[in-house]
Formats: sequence, structure tokens, C-alpha cells
Amino acid sequence: MTQGNLTPAANASGEPRVDPGAQSAYRFGFDIGGTFTDFVLIDRTTGAITSYKTLTTPHNPSQAVVEGWKQLLAHAGAQGDAVETAIHGTTLITNALIERKGAKTALITTQGFRDVLEMAKEMRYDIYDLLMVLPEPLVARPLRLEVTERLNGKGEVVIPLQLDNLEALQSKLLDENVEAVAVCFLHSFTNPQHEQAAAAWLHEHLPRLTVSISSEVAPEIREYERMSTTVCNAYVQPLTERYLHRLQSDLSELGFRHHLYLMLSSGGITTLDTAARFPVRLIESGPAAGVLASVFYGEKLGEENLVSFDMGGTTAKMCVIKHGEPAMSDDFEVARVHRFKRGSGLPVRVPTIELIEIGAGGGSIARVDELGLLKVGPDSSGADPGPACYGQGGLLPTVTDADLLLGYLNPDYFLGGRMQLDRAAAEQAVRTVLAEPLKMSVTEAAHGIYKVVNENMISATRVHVAERGGDPRQLKLIAFGGAGPVHAHQIARALKMPGYICPTSAGVTSALGFLTAPAAFEIARTFIAPITQDNLADLDAIYADLEAEGRMRLTEAGVPGDEMSFTRKADVRHVGQGHTIVVPLPFASLANTDLDQDIRPLFYRHYADIYGYAHKHLGLEITTCRLTASGPRPHISLQNAKASGAAVSTAIKGERPVYFDEAGGFVNTPVYDRSLLEAEMSFPGPAIVEEVDSTAVIGPNATVKVDAYTNLIVTLHDS
Amino acid sequence: MDLITLEIQWQRLISIMDEVDNATVRTSFSTIVGESRDFACILVDEAGSSLCQSNFSPPNFCVVLPRTSKVLLEKFPLHTLAEGDVLCTNDPWIGTGHLPDYVVLTPVFWQGKPVAFMGTVAHLTDVGGHRGDIEAYDVFTEGIRIPPSKLYLAGQENPLLFDVIGSNCRVPDMVLGDLRAIVGTHSLGARRLVEFLNDYGLDDIVALSDEIHTRSERLMRERIAALPDGVFEFGLDIDGYIETVHLQARVEIRGSDIYVDYTGTSPQTRLGAINCVYNTTYASTLYPFKCALVPRIPNNEGLFRPVHVTAPKGCILNCDGTHPVQARAKVTNNINQVLFGAVWPILGEHAQAGSGSIWPFSFSGQADGYGVFSAHMLPHGGRGAMAELDGLPPIAFPHNSAVTAIEVMETRAPLLFLCKEFLPDSAGAGYRRGGVSQTIRVRNIGQAPMNARLRPDKMFCEPPGLNGGKPGKVGEVRWNGSVLTRFPPLEFKPGDELEMRMPGGAGFGAVAERPRALVERDLALGYISAEGAAADYGYTP
Repeated sequence: MTQGNLTPAANASGEPRVDPGAQSAYRFGFDIGGTFTDFVLIDRTTGAITSYKTLTTPHNPSQAVVEGWKQLLAHAGAQGDAVETAIHGTTLITNALIERKGAKTALITTQGFRDVLEMAKEMRYDIYDLLMVLPEPLVARPLRLEVTERLNGKGEVVIPLQLDNLEALQSKLLDENVEAVAVCFLHSFTNPQHEQAAAAWLHEHLPRLTVSISSEVAPEIREYERMSTTVCNAYVQPLTERYLHRLQSDLSELGFRHHLYLMLSSGGITTLDTAARFPVRLIESGPAAGVLASVFYGEKLGEENLVSFDMGGTTAKMCVIKHGEPAMSDDFEVARVHRFKRGSGLPVRVPTIELIEIGAGGGSIARVDELGLLKVGPDSSGADPGPACYGQGGLLPTVTDADLLLGYLNPDYFLGGRMQLDRAAAEQAVRTVLAEPLKMSVTEAAHGIYKVVNENMISATRVHVAERGGDPRQLKLIAFGGAGPVHAHQIARALKMPGYICPTSAGVTSALGFLTAPAAFEIARTFIAPITQDNLADLDAIYADLEAEGRMRLTEAGVPGDEMSFTRKADVRHVGQGHTIVVPLPFASLANTDLDQDIRPLFYRHYADIYGYAHKHLGLEITTCRLTASGPRPHISLQNAKASGAAVSTAIKGERPVYFDEAGGFVNTPVYDRSLLEAEMSFPGPAIVEEVDSTAVIGPNATVKVDAYTNLIVTLHDS
Repeated sequence: MDLITLEIQWQRLISIMDEVDNATVRTSFSTIVGESRDFACILVDEAGSSLCQSNFSPPNFCVVLPRTSKVLLEKFPLHTLAEGDVLCTNDPWIGTGHLPDYVVLTPVFWQGKPVAFMGTVAHLTDVGGHRGDIEAYDVFTEGIRIPPSKLYLAGQENPLLFDVIGSNCRVPDMVLGDLRAIVGTHSLGARRLVEFLNDYGLDDIVALSDEIHTRSERLMRERIAALPDGVFEFGLDIDGYIETVHLQARVEIRGSDIYVDYTGTSPQTRLGAINCVYNTTYASTLYPFKCALVPRIPNNEGLFRPVHVTAPKGCILNCDGTHPVQARAKVTNNINQVLFGAVWPILGEHAQAGSGSIWPFSFSGQADGYGVFSAHMLPHGGRGAMAELDGLPPIAFPHNSAVTAIEVMETRAPLLFLCKEFLPDSAGAGYRRGGVSQTIRVRNIGQAPMNARLRPDKMFCEPPGLNGGKPGKVGEVRWNGSVLTRFPPLEFKPGDELEMRMPGGAGFGAVAERPRALVERDLALGYISAEGAAADYGYTP
């Protein structure tokens, strides 16, 4: 039943350079999404990339994987054992949380605090919506259990853990057929001893249960967030474990002999065993991979300051990359009641590449609101009925409809011509829903959709960049996803960026990201204290502990000792302040540094970078020590594109009227066939560049240069 | 102005204020601002009218700030302002009704003249005054009052004012740190606004402001006109302090205007710092109408225009300039309830029964290993039921704030919390049940006494039910087992324990109409006990 498409992805125009003597070795990446499972295979010897897409098989996701594996390897003429690394990302875990399809889970807390999970932060996420509802807790009250134990704020034992309390709970856990248990005690982030003892007891007496303890899952201060994270982990653990082992054995049957790695939300990769213990760390693996692909392209192009911009059917996701490093955050929410309302979901405190996601995609619906204003999104027409122009009965105008009416999309070459777009239906939807009520022409209304959705993305990007202490004028946009290259030009221009990049084969950008990830772990420990010259040695001791843990985890992931690297960071604030910033600590030994000469100026500089000033008369306080432990980044070479010296006009396949505000309306615009573009070609905007799974819209006052890998490098000129 | 441009520019302004809001959280020093989010960021036009606010800003601040701005602009007229000037005041009668709320207003200059203001209202940690909260004879006891003043002069700190504020509070680093942080966020906001004006080639925001206000007012009027004309009255007894306070509201809906009058309300009092200035009464009156009629329209002054509020001078909702006001929330938090009590029959699904209130408390002192500490928490009772929804468990209403984590409290101060858990049977019964409330118990585990301040509410007068729903249960405070009814600052000694049992939300609709299955679910979840099910719902297994 699966319908796949084999797409020789990068540099379809280039001739594979095969060294006849070499035995090919492959890296294989696959991403199981809600609708599609994407695959990408890269031949390490030639750099050739092939991709494949098939429908996800929700009941047994492994089935689609087997299918894709066979197709891609057959196409490459290779056997399963030629794959040396397989890396996987999946939305399975996120979906289980959204659809509430996880395991029957119990929560064990300190006596008196089981309801913290349901009371959350006691804060409303919408101050004017009286009908606001909160997400149901993943563990209902009858399975939130308590034991007698207590640590104080310093982590000292006030009441020892009463193991006989656990004994009393044993029959309840059995009778209720509980599969997973989350344990979260107060202050366990400082002293994990009680949680560890409870876990040991549970393993011994109830060996069939999977157990998640908060001091391992998210050892950071704030009981609600830690509890929520631990419960989410427990809830998806049995399912993840079963699924991963099944996948491993299916791949073994196909001849795969090596490690299966899993992509983490932080952009690192990990082993199957670690992933099965901490599935909550995998939640954002797919979007994280897209950002890694941006980092990868940035490296190839010598651009280390970028905004990764991924615009698909439902959402747009942006991430700031500074000095080749994506922005990180451990403040993430899953399964929101309102997808785009912060605070309406379940908090998950794990290291995550910080993406802002807004309801702006090709399917986002446009409408006139109560004030008579044109609004776009966050509602999406989804795949069914989809935009009006899909001709599947959709009557509401969407961003894709506007893109079609403005000439950005080619009705006869959508998905390479596999789908015919219905211009009349798009026009009808825009006219009825927008143009008539707003008393404007269809073109004006369509352009209104385009401008409003762009502004939504521009505002979100501007705020995100600023929060990360960046200046858009020094960043370039790197655009992918089906709709990214259609909208990149106006976003980059509005943000006054010098230019933007449309990487080759936008459709497989995310999957490619899997193959570029190093084995990496983010490890953190809460430690709240003023920073003094005297306690720098204590910090060294904590970092040494973290490093030992990182070394252990990297070893498990098969990284040789001499290829490990460790980066120290810390959450630091002015003494007395509530919130922290992350400061890198590039010192092998803090004890050998001088607080006033080395550490304080470093903090003030980072703080001032973000907020414009620092309180230099105040001392510093540390709250969290952070360590990134990573293995080497894999070397991936891309094939070079053909450069025959042909004139750029040979790549033009036609022209059509395209709407550009700057040009005052529709102008006849050349349409380039991306597969005919060659390295070193250059042409001015306005221009349209079409390929099978995306279209790039280049506005006026811009120059496009095609690089050696057929990426489009666009430079914006002052208008 | 064309509609697409209006939408784009309006959203851009809101996103600027969101950025200012974010920066405020991240650069603040106090838990009140940083953890509890007791602040608002508002863009004000050159006439002093509010244009937009950040998405998380508490509703009342946004209504009051433009009123404050207009007073500040009377004293410091627009043409006298220099770039880098920053205005401020904490006068309760000019601002938001009690001294800790500082209003800070920074003009944004463009092409050499002020075109708008960045405005912030923030609850700062300390303003000096007595150590207490609710027992004060007059406002002068409550701390320092800063009349409309320049906090910065052309970019330089006003040294005298900084000195005065710093010398009159217990934690100057925290208070001055927060003020400096706010001014920092304003320069950020000003830069963003200038970029905006430059991007769109605008000389000012007058036209944009007119358009936003006109359209918003028009919609608000349409919504009011769609309600049946009529007069609705409701009276409600609330706790007050020592003496019960009566709130009386008369709401008249006439055409596209709403007139609210509070004649019949109790007089101002010196028994408790619970007097409300007109500004907060006005803001608290607007809130339920904004929520019920135009919940999705970004808040701005145009929405306020059709609502007219009067309260007799000298009543507790319009007190004079000497009465104590620190704990005014004990009264203002009930204004929505008296209004819902009056107009609920015409509000449909937006009708809401009484809520269990906020129970702020804080501990301060000095201890080995903690230094000078001040830890502060804003927990809540259960929320009132809606016409078709059970009330939410403890959650902020009608203000908005987040509860401080227990672990943060215990890290900052030598405290040990013994529980924070649901209080079964606290909610009012009804077709829709009120929200369940909570019990918090806490002990001093230090070696020295500390100062505890707490401000419970609804310990005597229940949150009212609507349409036959039962009231929520009243709350109770015990100190080492004995019930407390007065709340001067408490000498909280080593080993002392406080127990706070907060009030439940009230029910909506007749109890008999609640489906049996929902009673059984509540029983299974322990929101109600077997005894409670029998007593409140007549339930037998």
C-alpha cells in the first residue's frame, strides 16, 4: 500500500564519482513523521545522497522502515551490511503524548505533594478566555501515590525514606495493571539518594515495571516541571522500548550489523539503550534534525551565523544558529491544549534545540476577524481537505492558494507535476472569504495573505533572534520545507538580512540532518551558590563529575576516548536576580582563573550582549552547571555539481507573470529549472526556481549565485 | 488606513511589547516580577492612551496605566520631555492602588520628538513602611510615596530619587535593580519602535492609534448593543477585615453603553488596608465585560470607552487620599463576582460563579546559610464554575500570576512545606461544580524567628454560587493548631507551623442536575469524599 518515490536527491545533475576499487559504506537516516516516513542514504565514498518517502504505518512503524530500507539499498545496489550507521528520529513519542496513547502510569511523590502535578503553576495561559481549560494530567489522582520521606532545601535528609510505604503500594500497582512508574521527590536534584533507593526497591520487587526517577530524567530545581518531565518519560517508556527493540531486530534481519542511533531533541545522537530509558529526550528529534542540516550547510558554505527557517504545511519553525551552534533551551512543552499558546501544555525540561514554532504554513487558513482585519492561521486546512487549490473540496483560502494566485507556484508543476493545482478554486475561495468582505481585488487579498503570514514569521523571528542576543543584519536565512523558499525572500528583506540560502533538495533537508549529528549529550546539575574565588574549586569538582558521566555515556555510544570533547557552560545571574543566562566557561580549571579578571567580565559581556547593560557592581550567582559531551562530527562530503560553463539561459524553462510588491504588481519573470542549474551560474531577481518538491521565489534587487552543490546563494541589494 | 497594513502594524507593536515583557522577566531581581509575573508592559501613544500590551500582562494594570500616563503628562507635558527622560510614580491614587506598584513611563523619540511611551507597571518587593500588610491606619504607614517624578533625566539616573527610594526600603539592591532592569527593557522597546517607524516610513503613530481605538470601540459597542437593555442589580457581602464589607452594583445596559454604579457599597475603612482607589475599581469593572464580550481582541483603550463606572466618593471602592490601601486586592478581586452576580443571565456560557481568591504569603528574615531572605508565594483557591464547565482547581483569577515552586521557597528560606494538596469537599456543588481548593502547611526549620505575612480571603463570606449553584467553602488559617482571624505580621518562630486551607470555587446551576456519573468521578478522584457526596449531592452508592 505504501507509495514511495525514489528521488536521487542532491546534485541530480552531477555524475557520481565512483572509485571502482572502494567498497561503498553507507549512512542511513530515517524520520518517522505523522504522515510520511522519510529516508536518506548517503554513500560515504561518493557523497551521493538518495532519498525516499513513504506513508507512515502507524500500527507498526517498523513496516514502513523495512520498506524504505529495501528500496534505497536496492537502488544503491548494496547489501544491508554495507550500512555502517543508521540514525533514527521519530514523532512516535510526541504523538503518544498528544493522543494519550502511552502506558498506564503511576506517580510516586513525597507525602503531601502528589497534587502538584495537577495544580501546575496555578497560572492562566490566556488572561481573557474565561472558558480556558488545562491539559489533563497524564496520571489521574488515584494513581498518584505518596511515600513518607523528606529532604530539606539543602538536600539533607529530614525524614528517611520509609520503604515499607512502598510495600504498601505494591498491591495497588499490581491490581491496577500499572506498566510504568515515575518517582519524583522534593529536592532530589540535590540529593538523589531517596529516589535511587525507591527505584532499586521497585526494580527488585516489581521487575516488570519500567521506572523513571526525576533525578535522572531532569535533575533541575522546580518540582512541577521536574515531575511533569518525569511523568512524560514514564508514560512513553514502555512503548518506546518495545518499538525500538522491534526495529532493531527487523533491521538485523535485513543484514544491519551496527549500532542503531537515535536523534535527540538536543541535536546529539544516542544509543538505543539510552533512548529507551529517556524517551522524553527524543521528543523534538525531527525538527532538531532540520536545524542540524542548516548547521551542516552553513559549514559547507562558510556561514556560521544563520536563522534556520523551515516552513511546511502547518507550521513555520525558526532557530538561531550563532557561531555554528544552534540556540538551546530546556524549556519545552508538549501536547498543548492550544498548539500555539505557551503555557497550555505539559512542560518537559530536557535539553532541546530551541525552535520557535508558529502556526504559519502552506495550509494556514486566512479569514476576516471580528474587527474586519485579515488574519492568517494558526488553524490549518491540514492534508484533508487541504488548500482550496488542491481541489479536494476545501473552501477556505490558505497561504498556498495565495502563493498560487500570485504566480509563485506553478499549477502544472506542483510536486513535480504529480498534483494539478486548481487556480479557479483558489480564486473562488479568496474572493468569497476575503476579497468581497474586505472590498478589495482578489490579487490584493491574495497579497494580503502573503504579507500577513510573512509578518507573523518576521515578528516571531525578530523576537527570537533578539532574545538570543543576535542581530538579524548579521544573519542569513536558510530556507527549506515545502513553503520555506517561497517566503524566504520577503522575510530576509524585512529583517534586513544580507541574504538567504535555499539549499538543494529542500524536501530531504531534515532527514539529511540526522546524518550530520555527532554523538552528544547535554548533562546538567543544579548548584545554587554565589560564585566566589574560594568555591571555584567546588565547581571544578562538579564539572569533573559531569565529565565522568559524559565519558561513560559516550563510551556506551561507541565513541573512542581520544575523540571525546567536553564543553562547560553555566547558568549564571547577578546575585539576587531571578533568571539566568547561559555562559560558556572555556577554562580547563576554574580554580586557576581569577574571578574578577576572567569570570565576571565574561558574564557581564554576555549579559550586555543580550540586554544592553550589566549590573557590574553586583556579584555573580551560579544556578546550574552544564556540560556538553560530544563525539566527533561525521565527515560528510557532498557531490560537486556539474560546471560545464553553459550559459545560465540554458536553465530557463519559461516565464510567467509573478506578483512583486516592489515592482508594483505582476511582472513577467523567468522560471529556472533547478535541475539544469550548474555551479557558478548567476542570475538576477526577480526569478522563480522550480524543483520537484519546492519552489524558490527570488524578488527584485537580488542576485542568485549557484554554488558547487547547487545551493542557491541569494544576496539582497538595497532597494 | 488599509486593513492589511493595520493588521501587520498592530501585530508588530504587540510583538515589540512581548519582547519587552520577556526581557523584564529575564532581567528582574525579585520573585514577584520574575517568578510571579506581577507586572505589565504597555505601549502608550503620545496622548497617553494605551495601544497594546504584552500577551501575559495582568488585565488591571493595562487599564490603569493610560490613566496614570495622562497624569504624568499633565505634570511633565510632552514638549518638555527630553530623550532619555524616564517618568515614574507609585502614588496609589494616580497609579494602580497601592504603593508597591511602580509605574515607569519612558518617552520614545523619533525624528527629534516624543511619539509614544514604553510603559511598565511592576510590583516591587519593598517600599518601606511597617512590616505588616493588612493592618494600617493610613497610607503613610504603608511606605514611601513617590509623586510623579523623573527617574532618569536625559539618560542619567536622578541620583536624589534613587537615593530616596533606596534609603526607604529594606532591600535596595532588589528594588533599584528591578527599576534599572525596567528602564533597560524600555530602551530595548524604544529601539524596536523606532525600527518599526523607520520600516514603515511613519512620522508618528497617531493614525494607527486612532484606527485601533476606533475599530475596537466600534466592535465593543456592537457587542454591548446586542445585549438586551436593562438594569441589573446585585449585592454581595465579602470578608473585608474585622468587619464585613458590602459591595452593591447597579449595572445598566443602555444601547451601546454600560453604566456601572456602586452606590450602596460600604464606606472606606481604617479597619484593614483594603480600600480601593477609583482606578482599580474602574479596571476591575471592565475586566469581566472584556472577557465576556471581546475576549480575543488585543486589549486597548478603545474597548474601555463604552463602559462608564461611578462609585460614591468615600466608599470603599473610591477612597480618599489618606486611607490605607496595601491589601486592596481583598476587595477588588470580588468586583467581578458582584458583576457576574448582576448580569450572569445575559452572559450565556461566560457566566462565572465566585472564585476562591488569592492567598499571598511571604517569609522574610536572616538566617545562617541563607543570608537576608525574602520568599514569596501566591497560591490560590479553586475557581468558580462556569455555566457549562466545572471550576478549575487552584488557579489565578481574576488577576494572573504563577505560584512559586516549593523548592525555590525552601532554597531561599529555612522553611519546610509539609503539604500542598487538594482540599476535598471544598468546592461548591452544582450542575457544574466549583474548583477544588488546596491546603498548604509550612514550618520554620531555622534557628531564628522570621517575619511572616499572609493575607487570606473568604474566611467568613463564601464565594457565591449562581443559578442555584452552592457557594464554595470558606477558608481557614491555623497557626500551631489555633485558628487565626487577624493578620498583623507574624513572629514565625523555629518549629512554628502555619496551615492554610483555601476557599473552594462556587457551583453553577442546581445540584440535582449534576449527572450522577460526574459525582462518581469526583468521588473516585477524591475531589469529594463519601461524606461530602452524601451531604452536598445526596449521593448514595
